[in-house]
Amino acid sequence: MSSGSPPCPATLLSIRPLSGDTSLFTLQVPEGAQVGGEQPWQFEPGQFLQLSVPGAGEAPISYCGVPTPDRRVELCIRRVGRVTTALHHALPGDQLAVRGPFGRGFPLRHYLGRDILLVAGGLGMAPLRALLHTLLAERQRFGRLTLLYGAKAPDALLFRHELTDLAGRKDLLLRLAVDRAVACPAAIPSCREALLPELLDGLALTPGRTFVPVCGPPSLYRALIPPLLARGVTPDRIHLSLERRMQCGQGRCGHCAVGSLLCCTEGPVFAYSTLLGIEGAL
Amino acid sequence: MPLFLLPHNALDACLQRLRSVAELHGPRRDTDGLCRLAPLPEGVRPDLTTLRTLLPAKKYLLPPVETTLTFRPGEGYRLPRLPDTPLILLGLHPCDLAAIAYLDRQFLAAPPDPTYAARRAAITLVGTGCSPDGYCSCLTHPSPLPTPCDLFLHPVEEGFLVTAESDRGKELCRSLAGLLQADRRCPPPSARDRFAPPLPPPSTEELDLSLPDWRELADHCLGCGACSIACPTCACFELLEYATLDAAGAERRRRWDSCLFKGHAMVAGGESFQQERWQRFRYRYQHKYRGFGPLQGLPSCVGCGRCRVQCPSGLDLRPLAERLERREA
Ligand SMILES: Cc1cc2nc3c(=O)[nH]c(=O)nc-3n(C[C@H](O)[C@H](O)[C@H](O)COP(=O)(O)OP(=O)(O)OC[C@H]3O[C@@H](n4cnc5c(N)ncnc54)[C@H](O)[C@@H]3O)c2cc1C
Ligand code: SF4
Ligand code: SF4
Ligand code: FES
Repeated sequence: MSSGSPPCPATLLSIRPLSGDTSLFTLQVPEGAQVGGEQPWQFEPGQFLQLSVPGAGEAPISYCGVPTPDRRVELCIRRVGRVTTALHHALPGDQLAVRGPFGRGFPLRHYLGRDILLVAGGLGMAPLRALLHTLLAERQRFGRLTLLYGAKAPDALLFRHELTDLAGRKDLLLRLAVDRAVACPAAIPSCREALLPELLDGLALTPGRTFVPVCGPPSLYRALIPPLLARGVTPDRIHLSLERRMQCGQGRCGHCAVGSLLCCTEGPVFAYSTLLGIEGAL
Repeated sequence: MPLFLLPHNALDACLQRLRSVAELHGPRRDTDGLCRLAPLPEGVRPDLTTLRTLLPAKKYLLPPVETTLTFRPGEGYRLPRLPDTPLILLGLHPCDLAAIAYLDRQFLAAPPDPTYAARRAAITLVGTGCSPDGYCSCLTHPSPLPTPCDLFLHPVEEGFLVTAESDRGKELCRSLAGLLQADRRCPPPSARDRFAPPLPPPSTEELDLSLPDWRELADHCLGCGACSIACPTCACFELLEYATLDAAGAERRRRWDSCLFKGHAMVAGGESFQQERWQRFRYRYQHKYRGFGPLQGLPSCVGCGRCRVQCPSGLDLRPLAERLERREA
């Protein structure tokens, strides 16, 4: 864990708007930079980093791409407060800082040879994109892949250009849901006006060989888990990424407890079976 | 372990020697009648009979506000100059020392927190024995933690029996030569033995939510956070960043926080996982008596009684803990 040391510099390379309040930020960490022996550009899907915007502060952000040899880091960030607003005002070339990776990501080794049903709600697409790209990079090592992704409206769907490509793939089933929509635009195939959990209807699912990584708001977890359990998926195979008000990322500041677990070091990805009986977990 | 007697009439001279080694701080009764850990310059005598200081020793290890990083363009984020002023903290009781052992586990575990580690290394701890009052729970619910210190002063009729509990303590004893008298008495119980043998640890099962007590008790809590400020093992903090006046640089500070404040568990968008006061109240209980994260199963309450003394509503979590523990047994 890389936290006793100061964050290392990272240069903002580009900002690409994805929706009204969310953009894809690409950073590059200079060669040789490290934070207490850790390399913030080496990570597993589901892990997060702490991004500093000098003068504004630090925020935990999920990795949303895959590690690259040129130490680029992709982050998909919504503007909500002090740090994220300052970031949306930043310009390519600006100096930021990062430390990480933090936390436990999705348990990839359990996913080998299995069917994976990814479910993303809203900004939850960020860590699941990291997972999806990792799975697709070694596609033959996994069974059936399905992505269910829901957003409030068609223009809130993130990575729309990638979704079009994914919809055309034969080795992946994509289903999209938008609520409050007049109609799903033809440019976005596989799209329905529905609540995300309704996408499970009629979906082929073999509970014994399926893992379900999920990331989204707490309301998604509450709505999605009962139908998954009803379909026979066991709680240890439902993997949820939780959001807490993390500050230190090193199990010290006390802000991120989930029952007696600390989300920053023991999460943010937890099996639903671990969270059963923890009041306020979801 | 060599044992020395420090007679009452040599105490002042002993303190004077300590002042020549490092800045001396200890319990000082002020004109407002309150006893605080504060500097003890020449001429100011410590109050070694007082049972608990207003704030515990954590204020020296984790000051209420401190700079943890600085930022300059071109330099990036850097550690500030780390504190290294040698300090002797006098008059800490076994519970205060156990609390330091708890903070050590939290802040010195790999990777150590750089500012905490620097402050801790610069502090010499001198413990003193005490007699618990009705607010203390050290004898009924002893902490399983050790009581790290360098010197320990056991009060006896003629003065203090002194034991060196570390290499630094032995060195200090040498520098006090001439003031300390060798003593042939049977050594008094070690600082740790001031606590009774630890009880079996409480269950780490999730807490029973059905108990009405959480709401009952929390209805009386004002959410003022006085209990966590006074607690020697409450170390929640928040990180704040300030731009420097020229707007080019920045400073990151950490500031004491309390799990009883509403914003503590709030996430972006204002959703909180501890929205209700009773949930926050139970969170504090969880930390004090069950521990969490890497210290799960290790109670952090050392029984100093500060929370009970300070609470404007006279709240005490201990009886609830007893009821829960009985229920589990
Ligand atoms: C593991 C993890 C991964 C994450 N991944 C991503 C990601 O990939 N992309 C992304 O965009 N976000 C992500 N987040 C969320 C992100 O960390 C927050 O949105 C971010 O910290 C907000 O920081 P800010 O300074 O911009 O907002 P802040 O200024 O901290 O405010 C955000 C909101 O929180 C509330 N708030 C904050 N502090 C207080 C307070 N003291 N009292 C009352 N209300 C308060 C306010 O309502 C405000 O609107 C992730 C969070 C976690 C824990
Ligand atoms: S919980 Fe109360 S009695 Fe226990 S260590 Fe903290 S202040 Fe002291
Ligand atoms: S001191 Fe008492 S009233 Fe204040 S937060 Fe603690 S328990 Fe509540
Ligand atoms: S973020 Fe500080 S303890 Fe988890």
